Amino acid sequence: MTNMRMAEQAARHQDNKIEARDVHVYYGANEAIKGVDVDILDKTVTAFIGPSGCGKSTFLRCLNRMNDTIDGCRITGQILMDGDDIYARSVDPVQLRAKVGMVFQKPNPFPKSIYDNVAYGPRIHGLVSNKADLDEVVEKSLRRAAIWDEAKDRLNEPGTGLSGGQQQRLCIARAIATAPEVLLMDEPCSALDPIATAQIEELIDELRSSFSVVIVTHSMQQAARVSQKTAFFHLGEVMEYDDTPKIFTNPENPKTQDYITGRYG
Amino acid sequence: MPHIVTAFDDDLMMIQARISEMGGLAEELLAQALEAVEKRDAALAERVIARDKRIDELEIEVEEAATQLIALRQPMAKDLRVLISALKISTTLERIGDLAKNIAKRAIVVTKHGPVKLTSSIIRMGRSTQAQLSQVLNAYTARDTDAAVAVWQRDVEVDEMYNALFRELLTYMMEDSRMITAGAQMLFIAKNLERIGDHTTHISEMVYYIQKGEPLGDDRPKGEPVGLDAE
Ligand SMILES: Nc1ncnc2c1ncn2[C@@H]1O[C@H](COP(=O)(O)OP(=O)(O)O)[C@@H](O)[C@H]1O
Ligand SMILES: [Mg+2]
Repeated sequence: MTNMRMAEQAARHQDNKIEARDVHVYYGANEAIKGVDVDILDKTVTAFIGPSGCGKSTFLRCLNRMNDTIDGCRITGQILMDGDDIYARSVDPVQLRAKVGMVFQKPNPFPKSIYDNVAYGPRIHGLVSNKADLDEVVEKSLRRAAIWDEAKDRLNEPGTGLSGGQQQRLCIARAIATAPEVLLMDEPCSALDPIATAQIEELIDELRSSFSVVIVTHSMQQAARVSQKTAFFHLGEVMEYDDTPKIFTNPENPKTQDYITGRYG
Repeated sequence: MPHIVTAFDDDLMMIQARISEMGGLAEELLAQALEAVEKRDAALAERVIARDKRIDELEIEVEEAATQLIALRQPMAKDLRVLISALKISTTLERIGDLAKNIAKRAIVVTKHGPVKLTSSIIRMGRSTQAQLSQVLNAYTARDTDAAVAVWQRDVEVDEMYNALFRELLTYMMEDSRMITAGAQMLFIAKNLERIGDHTTHISEMVYYIQKGEPLGDDRPKGEPVGLDAE
């Protein structure tokens, strides 16, 4: 059981991949994120937990500028990736999203073939020059997402014909096909059964050897199983951010304690 | 603050109630075993031996309930510490029960011999051990870290009583070889009391862990053990 590598679960000292400084997000007059500072480590799974509406998804979407597409959404503060401001004028949000991939709650394959779902990103970003290279990227991504064996004989069939769990792994394959450096996942298992969930969790654990993974989850057990770092969000603020084993055995903040023990009122 | 799921609170309370019951029983068995030694009452000693079974049963109950709660409710943070500690404390109390039972068995042997001179010193040591146990159980119920640490630090006094008794009993047996059988029983009784003292400090450590989330440490003041060859 890979999740039980407890010795390893304590995040090793690593470099910051993303540094968020005093981030505020407003939807019109509503301040959804109220000054968040968080360092996301490289090659580490970071979990965001907290009650519904506390701003987890909003903050996650700041990390690949998905909020740019929402009308009336305004962001202040600074988000650095490898030391560079991702909100700088010179940054193309589309290019950024190739580097910071995203997987959503509901599996959302395009209404295209399995092959085209994965090939889409590399094609539009011009990452490959010929069919053979593209085939290779597609196969590698599907393998990496642990869906190759189930998909290899039906690459030309629609992605929407797969089961929920398979679709989600296809979406992960699609997200990693552009060779991102960070993978954002917003409740990626909430529509999946326990077996499919376990497969995704196993995959997340495997992916962190190459990426920095940030996962929003409403399952505290899932956060405890897959992550090395956990941030507890509450009413738009990060109340506590620490090594996952520490958060789940001996949190410092009474609010964290109340939430994770099911006493949140 | 109560849990959103109230059944969880009920289960946690039930487990802690079982621990309290075990603690009360362990205290009582120790008191009665000491009384059996003091009054040379073999019938009372037999009753202690019989009642120890109840502690064993309670230990199994706590173990089953805690395992089930961990599996079904995936407790976190302090709830988890309460449950892990319940498992350890119930095992500790079961051992204290065993040691009280062992004292009772030796009381029966001792009654078959003439009175032993140092009985009152042993009883005094026993009363201190019993007071320590009683105080740590109160500290557990009240979640009183300071009281638990105080018990933990005072265990050195029980150690010192044991060391003094050890020397006296040895001298006593050397002076009068007819006293060796009863004296040896008394020596084991004193050793059992010293062990109960150690187990009591373990409960102190658990109270501390529940409250603080970290171990109390292992630099507890200890009396130098006698009877070991100098190395
Ligand atoms: N697109 C949006 N437009 C307006 N308000 C939004 C939008 N998305 C989220 N919000 C508001 O921002 C707050 C945080 O929401 P969200 O980030 O979705 O929380 P979480 O993911 O923790 O459940 C909520 O008050 C929510 O109503
Ligand atoms: Mg959300």
